[in-house]
Amino acid sequence: MGRFSILFAVLLMLFAISLVTARYQSRQLFVASERLSAQARELDTDWRRLQLERAELARNARIDEIARQDLKMMPASPDRTLYLKGDFAAVPPVNVPDGVRP
Amino acid sequence: MKRVRFYDSPVLNTQMPMWRARLVVILLMLGFGTVLAKALYLQGMSKDFLQQQGERRYERTLVLPATRGKIFDRSGEVVLASSVPVRAIWAIPEDARAAGDEQLTQLSKLLDMPIADVRRRLATEDKNFVYIKRQVAVDIADQIRAMKIPGIHQQVEMRRFYPEGGMTAHVLGFTNIEDKGIEGVELTFDKELSGTPGSRRVIRDRLGRVVEDVQAVVPPVHGQDLRLSLDAGLQFDAYSALKKAMEEHNAQAGAGIVVDVKTGEVLALVNLPSYDPNRRDDRTGGALRNRVITDTFEPGSIMKPFTVALALDLDKVTTSTKFDTGNGRYRYQGSVISDVSRNGVLDVAGILRRSSNIGMTMISELLTSQEMWTKFTELGFGRAPHANFPGVASGKLRPWERWRPIERATMAYGYGLSASLLQIAHAYTVFARDGDMVSLTLLKREDKPTSVQVYKSEDAALVRSMLEAAAGPDGARLAQVQGYRVAGKSGTARKIVDGRYSTSKYRSSFVGFAPVSDPRIVVAVTLDEPQGGAYYGGRVAAPVFSNIVASSLRRMGVQPDAPFESLVAVGSAGEQE
Repeated sequence: MGRFSILFAVLLMLFAISLVTARYQSRQLFVASERLSAQARELDTDWRRLQLERAELARNARIDEIARQDLKMMPASPDRTLYLKGDFAAVPPVNVPDGVRP
Repeated sequence: MKRVRFYDSPVLNTQMPMWRARLVVILLMLGFGTVLAKALYLQGMSKDFLQQQGERRYERTLVLPATRGKIFDRSGEVVLASSVPVRAIWAIPEDARAAGDEQLTQLSKLLDMPIADVRRRLATEDKNFVYIKRQVAVDIADQIRAMKIPGIHQQVEMRRFYPEGGMTAHVLGFTNIEDKGIEGVELTFDKELSGTPGSRRVIRDRLGRVVEDVQAVVPPVHGQDLRLSLDAGLQFDAYSALKKAMEEHNAQAGAGIVVDVKTGEVLALVNLPSYDPNRRDDRTGGALRNRVITDTFEPGSIMKPFTVALALDLDKVTTSTKFDTGNGRYRYQGSVISDVSRNGVLDVAGILRRSSNIGMTMISELLTSQEMWTKFTELGFGRAPHANFPGVASGKLRPWERWRPIERATMAYGYGLSASLLQIAHAYTVFARDGDMVSLTLLKREDKPTSVQVYKSEDAALVRSMLEAAAGPDGARLAQVQGYRVAGKSGTARKIVDGRYSTSKYRSSFVGFAPVSDPRIVVAVTLDEPQGGAYYGGRVAAPVFSNIVASSLRRMGVQPDAPFESLVAVGSAGEQE
């Protein structure tokens, strides 16, 4: 009887300690997960900002101006365009031999 | 000294009165009872209050803000509007008194506002919360935070950015400082765009870190992203074409719309003058008006095809019916109706091509007011279109019972009723399609559009060919586009000034579609009060139409359906040998 009491007392101690550590760990993990979700939010904000920045740089007005003024390009009018007739889905891919660049 | 043992102490030998012992017991019991009563009071009666007070010291409710949805163009790749967090700089004036002069100077420099302004804001004694500046960029706010000025605090808020600026300003509208939509798409779809903020109740440790969730987290529902039917490329083309014409003709205002014939999607919607939605102080006056949708005007000649189609539909005229329009002046119901030039005998196509008011009057004599009113109503005139947009104008079309006899004639050529450019472009889809009118939308359409049959398909085809002739060599020549067959009608309406038709103020319009062999887009353009010579729709608005059609069809990759001389040779494989 006495032996059992000692055994249970030891077991109880062990469980009590493990409960404390589990609690501690859960808090640690919680803090870590918090930190990660904050990081996720921050990354999302950065993504929004970069997306805006890209939109700003890819603005049609800006592209058009650069193309016309700096690169001296002009819009492709139909008379300068080659129109190819045919069913393009059926055309097999062109076989380019190794080492030959098109 | 004589030692006395405890038991021998004479004090013990004296007999104490019994009441003293009783008194002690009673006092002890009373003390015990008080403690018990207090414990009962704390545990039982004021438990909730005390628990609340305790929780308030370590628990916090955090608001999880919902982010407003982004707005994309139809490709889903071009961002037209998006929110990013910024900071509001605020102060507790009393605390801020400790701030040094140097610090405040630096602060005003960073915030780009005069130092007197900062001081004035901090001088408000009776408040303990003053905004110094809102919507400050995060990097500047971080620099301010690093200065550690006493009494200056920061708060996160959102700011909406519109990368395309004035180009899409009228469609998108804008939000107020609280990120709520107050104009345009931002207003119409405010519910979808703005989410619902969530909340969570947490325990914080002594370092302020969140340690545990007390209750289940209510996650924020972020606003939905919207995908508009607009095409950023087409929008730009339309905007620059219109802008060029506005400057060339010194016009007061201009508007244009491009509609996809097959799906009813609005591909481009442009208004000028415009404003920059990113600048708060720019959002005032007439520039805010979305003229395409909210402004109505007398359409003038661009109404003629509808009357002609009605007459054809009711078999009142055929393509070979001839009308003698005489010398360009015609007495009718006590008024004189005049044409720009003498046209002689014209058939129906000729009336449209020459835009003869007299011819239209003669056609209207074959129709009743009721027939015309019913058809115009079916075409959407006089009632607000089902467009998901705030402030959609319905225009004016009086009931046919109240038309005067002369009005049947004027209605036939577009005077006496009013419509918005959106309604006109919408109605023109009947000629671009097979006599049915497709429903319009500002959002990208995933399902099949609904359409209403208005004219018989063969009559629509007849009018389509007449409109092609009207935009041909004998009509509005400037509307022509290299490589594509176009059809359309120009309109020049006199503006009403002080209740009378002005002789110097006009509105030049052109509505049409292309390519005629298989129409893809309807384009409507109007220029308000062009000055400096030309004011005819065929002179002023038709070139804009032509520009927009040319660039739109090129962007959409539509194959040309008209012959043209190619400048580039098609090298066939046979020639290379």
